[in-house]
Amino acid sequence: MKNIVFFGGKGGVGKTSSSASYSLFCAQRGYKTLIVSTDPAHSLGDIFEVEIGNKIRELDNNLFGLEIDPEKASDDYIKRTKAEMRKTLSPIIIEEIERQIDAMVVSPGSEEAAIFDELVKIIINYTSDYDVIIFDTAPTGHTIRLLSLPELMGAWMDSLISSRREAVELMKMSTVGNKELHDKYTNDPVLNILMRRKEEYEKAREILIDSRKACFVFVLNPEKLPIIETQKAISILAKYGIQIGGVIINKVLPDDISDEFLLKRKQTERFYMEEIYRKFKDMILMEIPLFPDDIQGKLYLEKVSLLYTDVI
Amino acid sequence: MNNERLMKTLDFTKEFIKGAFSADYNSSRIMRVEAYEKLDNFMILCYGELLGLPLPSSYYSIELLPYLAEDLTTWEKRMLDRKEVLSERWGKYDWCC
Repeated sequence: MKNIVFFGGKGGVGKTSSSASYSLFCAQRGYKTLIVSTDPAHSLGDIFEVEIGNKIRELDNNLFGLEIDPEKASDDYIKRTKAEMRKTLSPIIIEEIERQIDAMVVSPGSEEAAIFDELVKIIINYTSDYDVIIFDTAPTGHTIRLLSLPELMGAWMDSLISSRREAVELMKMSTVGNKELHDKYTNDPVLNILMRRKEEYEKAREILIDSRKACFVFVLNPEKLPIIETQKAISILAKYGIQIGGVIINKVLPDDISDEFLLKRKQTERFYMEEIYRKFKDMILMEIPLFPDDIQGKLYLEKVSLLYTDVI
Repeated sequence: MNNERLMKTLDFTKEFIKGAFSADYNSSRIMRVEAYEKLDNFMILCYGELLGLPLPSSYYSIELLPYLAEDLTTWEKRMLDRKEVLSERWGKYDWCC
């Protein structure tokens, strides 16, 4: 049993229904489970037919849900920073700096950064509180980028730290005899913050690449594009050292069909099924049939959760 | 004879210590200039976005503002003023004294 399971895949293949039913499966087996949605366009609440939002909420016995809200996260972050500013800076400077803050918040990538921050927080703080944490992620590209951030940001932090350290060291040397300036740089708060961040990224990264703790499950349909996308994603994730736990084939047509159109579809599907079983043969594979109506509400999720075996 | 050498050594040491550790000497002034330049470089890495450099970490630099904001406004003005940058470069070459 892994601590952290990511569900990813192409848009529309059924990530949310697969991850939600898996979370129910874990909860019913007595594991304390948290399911987290990282997709800015949340659909977790819709499938459980409750409002979830950005506070942890109990969905069922042993099952808790959370939807990461990047806007709320960055608002809180700005508020925290401003409170800190009021301690150290004069109101005049704060007034002057407002414009810069606004520019930095709306800059491209800041939503992603906010989601990433929340993700790191959850991975570090909640792994001890829950037996399983399941992430229902955004479509593939977005998720892969998110999972590669610990490494990228770690490297970036390194360069920031070394640049700051160099400056601070020189400053300290050149201010011998000028007590005020010297003290300012002796215990540099900027360096402390950067170091703390770096440590967090390293911790998160360690958990993510630990195959005993974390894995990634791909959801796909027996069609051409999802198969290609999954293959690409698997090779990229392997590069970052993230384990692939398995592949879920969703929306498989039933065997007993008589309709001519559907029979033809079934033939095409067979071809792709063979391809899937050939390409992903070293992974755990699992099929979820296509249901006659929408997967919604607990009854359906339970139906699907019966298909899981204790594999992932 | 030996005394003389000792005095010489002491004088030399005194001069060395003065030069190395006193704030009114050129050496530490040069070091200070260098240090400020390094601080500027760090500012570019954090807030380059304000000058139009896209950076991966500008969102994370926000939390450093409580400690850097005081320098930030003047830094931005300096960086955006070409004359200022040029004169700063020239200022490094100390022609007089």
